[in-house]
Amino acid sequence: MSFVDDVRKLLRENIRDYGMFIALFVIILFFTLATDGLFISPRNLVNLVNQTGYIAVLAVGMTLVIVIRHIDLSVGFLAGFLGAIAAIALEQWGLPVVVVIPLVLFFGILAGRLTSFMVADLGIPAFVATLAGWLGYRGALQLVTRSTGTIIITDDAFNAIGNGFVPDILQATLIMPDYHKFTFILGLIGIAIFVSGEIINRSRRQKQSGEVSSTGMFILKLAGGSLLIGGIAWILGGDRGLSWTAVVILIVAISYHFMTTRTVLGRHIYAVGGNPEAAELSGISVKRITHFVFGSMGMLSALAGILFASRLQSATTTAGTLFELDAIAAAFVGGVSAAGGVGTVIGSLVGALVMASLTNGMNLMGIDISYQYIVRAIVLAAAVIFDVTTRRTSQ
Amino acid sequence: MEQTTEQKLVVEMRNIKKHFGAVQALRGVDLELAHNEVLGLVGDNAAGKSTLMKVLSGAYIPDGGEILIEGKRVSFANPMDARRQGIEMVYQDYALANNLDVAGNVFMGREVVRIKLGPLGVMDYPYMEQETQNLLQRLNIQIASVRQKVERLSGGQRQAVAIARATAFDAKVIIMDEPTAALSVAAIDQVLELVKELKAQGSSIIIISHRLEDIYRVSDRMIVLRQGRKVSDTAVEGDIHEFRERVVAYMIGARDDFAEQPVAG
Repeated sequence: MSFVDDVRKLLRENIRDYGMFIALFVIILFFTLATDGLFISPRNLVNLVNQTGYIAVLAVGMTLVIVIRHIDLSVGFLAGFLGAIAAIALEQWGLPVVVVIPLVLFFGILAGRLTSFMVADLGIPAFVATLAGWLGYRGALQLVTRSTGTIIITDDAFNAIGNGFVPDILQATLIMPDYHKFTFILGLIGIAIFVSGEIINRSRRQKQSGEVSSTGMFILKLAGGSLLIGGIAWILGGDRGLSWTAVVILIVAISYHFMTTRTVLGRHIYAVGGNPEAAELSGISVKRITHFVFGSMGMLSALAGILFASRLQSATTTAGTLFELDAIAAAFVGGVSAAGGVGTVIGSLVGALVMASLTNGMNLMGIDISYQYIVRAIVLAAAVIFDVTTRRTSQ
Repeated sequence: MEQTTEQKLVVEMRNIKKHFGAVQALRGVDLELAHNEVLGLVGDNAAGKSTLMKVLSGAYIPDGGEILIEGKRVSFANPMDARRQGIEMVYQDYALANNLDVAGNVFMGREVVRIKLGPLGVMDYPYMEQETQNLLQRLNIQIASVRQKVERLSGGQRQAVAIARATAFDAKVIIMDEPTAALSVAAIDQVLELVKELKAQGSSIIIISHRLEDIYRVSDRMIVLRQGRKVSDTAVEGDIHEFRERVVAYMIGARDDFAEQPVAG
């Protein structure tokens, strides 16, 4: 197959998968030009990632919730409430960070299991059950912060999660003293994993069925991916390196991507989303999957609460307001289908990045907030319209 | 009856009873299926054929009677129990997940893992895809790629995948509930060819259908149920018109081979 045919075929067949990446690229390019490169400066990129963090983490969990045909409206205030619990545990109970974080994550899982108890065991629609959670956690957040108001967090280690950077373990060496060399090394490792993974995948596919894209296309994909990883590492390494928030996002993204695409559990989640009756008849427990997905959503809500509290270095009385809708929007922009069964973790992450880039870029340009909402509305609607129409033509 | 008891029986259901509230859905039905036999199960709506098959596949627990699989008494608490005993059911509405590919559907709920970690076990894609490929080839099912999503397949192909899925794990009995309902003429041919292919390869099959010509084309023997009772159990033979008249006579109650007293009129 020739290279040009390949590109055409690839675009036609995978436009849905690549559309988001193209959109993100266009948005980045536009804001970079419109702000004379300010948008792509290391400082702003770090800012962008740290701003996206808590929504991105929620969007990953929300993806799985929507894939199994449910919704979770409680995650915003749950994140706010658990962030406040983290602050109280640190400041009032005097617990160390290493205890507080697992404890709060555990509370998150409990909260998620409470939701899934209502949804899976009592058969209450997720919309209603989590609307109750939305009200309840909002009240709980106000209750625990009533006597103190905003709780200032003084723990440096905790605050580093939302504001700090991975230290350069190679600081002492004399080569390139002004650069964050550890970030470069991480970038190189990332490229190596990406390239070797793609090559193994391709050769396996070739051996089996022989249907792979042309060599030219493959090299282009490898080069594009490597350039992206390398470019980000280069920009960040020129500044303060990788932020801890970025590390958290990467860990969540990689583990959830692996779980959904490679493991039996992930397969069962998508099977339940595609046809719950068929899944049940095949011996997959829809209840267990529901418990797991909401449990994971609760844990990620707790993580989002930690990221947000850490970033503000405090727990506020209104933390988490509207996070749930941002996360849902990110998931839909990222290609998740409201009908269930369709959507990827990486897609939702890109969706979160698209939405955050819009806010960030328009802020840099000094665009009025009212227009910002309208622009984001158009992007959300356009993404879903694109998704629906490309799905129709592909059938 | 005489000739089947001499052969090896795969399934023997004796005096199966099932009621839902006041409604007697099954009033003591006997059913026997010999090895490598295709048995047609017909009857009017609410005659009890789906109920009987749901009892056999573990979806319903009978109120009375017994089930023997290859001569061994069994009791099923749920469909998984029945499946472990080698009884596979192909449901009317395919029971496939449209968002998964062909291989994913064939192995749904029975994923093969490369690294065992319980639910976090890492799936062995190459193995599952290769096995699916072999399965489709063996059954002569034309599908471009096992990585194709099921939502992109035609109705006939989907039904073929659903049937292939049932045969993938050494099933002793394959039950098909209305496999040709809602299919085009070409797709019906495709599915019936598949049933014949399965018989040629040694499967034992029970097929429920409203379409008498389908039963006529593929079955060796036929049971007619009426109001929760067996009214006929005969070999499928003779000319199609005569066959159809005979079956309809049983279905509407004009004939009854198992009546305790002769039917008047």
